[in-house]
Amino acid sequence: MAINVKVVDRPIDETSYVRATLKGLGNTFKHMIDPHKVTTQYPEQRESISPRWRGTHRMLTTEDGKAKCVACGLCPTVCPANCIKLVPGEDEEGNRYPLVFEIDEFRCIFCGYCQEVCPEEAIHLGRHYENSEYSREGFVYDLERLMAQTHPVCEMWDPADPKGE
Amino acid sequence: MATKRTIDVALSTTGLDREGRPQRVPLVADGSGQVTAMAAPPSLEPELEGEHMLINLGPQHPATHGVLRLVLELDGETVVRCIPHVGYLHCGFEKIGEYRQYNQIIPWTDREDYLNSPGNNIAFALGAERLFGVEITERCTVLRVIALELSRIISHLVWVGTTCIDIGAFTPFLWAFQERENIYNLLEGWVGARLTTSISRVGGMAADIPDGWLDGLRGFLKTFPKTLVEVDKMITRNGIWVGRTIGLGIMTPQDAINYGLSGAMARASGVAWDMRKDFPYLDYETYDFDVPIGVNGDVYDRFLVRMEELRQSVRILEQAVERLPDGPVNVNDPRLILPPKSKATSEMESMIHHFKLVMEGPRPPVGEVYVPVESPKGEKGYYFVSDGTAKPVRWRIRPPSFVNLSAIPKMVEGHLLSDVIAINASIDIVMGEIDR
Repeated sequence: MAINVKVVDRPIDETSYVRATLKGLGNTFKHMIDPHKVTTQYPEQRESISPRWRGTHRMLTTEDGKAKCVACGLCPTVCPANCIKLVPGEDEEGNRYPLVFEIDEFRCIFCGYCQEVCPEEAIHLGRHYENSEYSREGFVYDLERLMAQTHPVCEMWDPADPKGE
Repeated sequence: MATKRTIDVALSTTGLDREGRPQRVPLVADGSGQVTAMAAPPSLEPELEGEHMLINLGPQHPATHGVLRLVLELDGETVVRCIPHVGYLHCGFEKIGEYRQYNQIIPWTDREDYLNSPGNNIAFALGAERLFGVEITERCTVLRVIALELSRIISHLVWVGTTCIDIGAFTPFLWAFQERENIYNLLEGWVGARLTTSISRVGGMAADIPDGWLDGLRGFLKTFPKTLVEVDKMITRNGIWVGRTIGLGIMTPQDAINYGLSGAMARASGVAWDMRKDFPYLDYETYDFDVPIGVNGDVYDRFLVRMEELRQSVRILEQAVERLPDGPVNVNDPRLILPPKSKATSEMESMIHHFKLVMEGPRPPVGEVYVPVESPKGEKGYYFVSDGTAKPVRWRIRPPSFVNLSAIPKMVEGHLLSDVIAINASIDIVMGEIDR
C-alpha cells in the first residue's frame, strides 16, 4: 500500500506581515513584467475553440438541399432535457421526413446526446457559442433555421474519428 | 440581563487593549482539543448588554457561496446561535432521475457539484457499473483517474481563490482561476464542454482523448506546481491570512466523526479518512500518494490540507500519464455500449441494436448498490435501487457538502460575525449539491 498519511506542516512560527507583503508585491510585479499575457481582449481577440466543442445545433442537408433527418425519433427520446419537438411526416414515396423539427436552445443543455444517437448524422452540435435574440421565441430553432446554420460541426461522435466515437 | 452562554471552544475573539479597543487574542494551540472558555470582554455599551439581534446572512450574500441562508443570533458581534437554511436551489434531480435512463442522468450529475462535474459523472458511472456488474477497461480506469484528479484540482483552486476573496486577498484568486482555465481548455479538447462535461457513460467514457491531448496535460503539470508555489508564497506564511484563519471553527476528531464530516474537513481535524485509501476504487491503491491530515482542525488546517491535496493530485496525475495503456475505452458489452457510428449507419444488425439500446435503454439486474468516491468535498456516494427496468426506481446522492454544512452551527458559535464568513468558506460548499 503506497498510500501514506502525512501530517501537514503548520508554519505558524514563520508567519510575518512585512516580509509576506513584500513577497506578495514582488510576485505581483513579476507577473506585471511577465511577457506571457493571459487576458484575451474579447471580442477583438478570440480564443480558438476545440474541434469537439458542443455548441449551437446545426442540421446537415443532403446534396439536393433537404434535411438529412428521417424523423426516426431517437433524438427526442434520448434528450435528457426534452427540448426537441419532432412531428414525422411521410411523402408519396414512403420516405419519412420531419414535418416539425424544433430545438429549444434555452432548454437545451448541450450534452450532445442527440448527435451521439443520430443514425443519419443529421443533427449536429456546432462549434459556435454566441447566440442572441430579442425574444424568447427566437431561441426555438425550427428546421429552416437549423439548416441555415453555417458554422463547423462538433467532431465528436464522427465516424471519421474513431477516438471520439 | 440575559445569561451569557458558555462556549466550549477556544476563541480568537475580542479582548480589549489598553485604549479599550477590541483586540484579537491569539489562540494557544493545545492539540488535545481541550480548551477552557475565555472570560467575556467587558461590554462597550452596558445598556445594550444581553440584547441579541437576529440577522440573515444570505440567501443572496456573495460570501455564502450560493443561496445559503444563515440566521445568526448575535450578541454584539459574537455569534450566539446559527441556524442554516437550505433548499433555495432545490431542483429535484433525484426525482427527475426516476424518469430517465441511466445514461440520461449523467448530464444531470454535472449540475449538482458544478465545480467537480467530471467527478460526479464518473462517480455516477461507477455506481451504475456496479449495479450492471461490468468491469471497465484498463484504459478507461486510468482516463477516469486523470479526469477525477483534474476536477479535484479545479475544485480546490476555486476553493482557494474564493476563500482568499472572502478573507480579503484578491490576487491569488486570479492566479488560481488562470490555472483552472488551463484545465477547462483540456476538458474542452476532450469532450467539447468546459463546465458541464458529461464525460462518462455507463461502461466507458463519452470519448477517448484526442491526439496530442496528453502533451497538453504534461505541459499543465509542468506549469501548475509553479503557480502552487506562488499561491503558497503569497498566503501560507502571510500574517494577515494566518490571523484570519487560525483557531477558527475548530472541530476535534471526535466532533468530526460525530458530525459525519468527510473530505478535507475530517482530515484537517486529524481523521485520516479518505475513500481513495479506505475503499479504493479505480485502482487508487496502486498509486503512490499521501493523504494529508491536519492537527488542530481549524480553518488554517483545512487550507493546508487542501493545498497539500493539490500537490498530491499532481503526483497522481504524473503517475497516471505514465501508465496510460493503449486499448479500448469502452467495455465490450453490447448491453451497454452503442455500436460504432460507422457500423450503425451501414449494417442493418448494428442499426437495430443501436435503436433498441437508445429506445429501451440498458437494463440492470434487480438490486441496490451504494458506491462512495472521494470527491473534492468529501465522501460522495451514489445509491441506486433497481427493479430491473431501464430506469432506476430510486437513486440518491450522498452530498458531502450537505453533511459538512450541518456542522456549521457548532463551528461558528462564539466567533465573530466576520469569522463566520471564513468558517463558512472553509467548508467548501456548493449549493447545487446541497439542495440537489
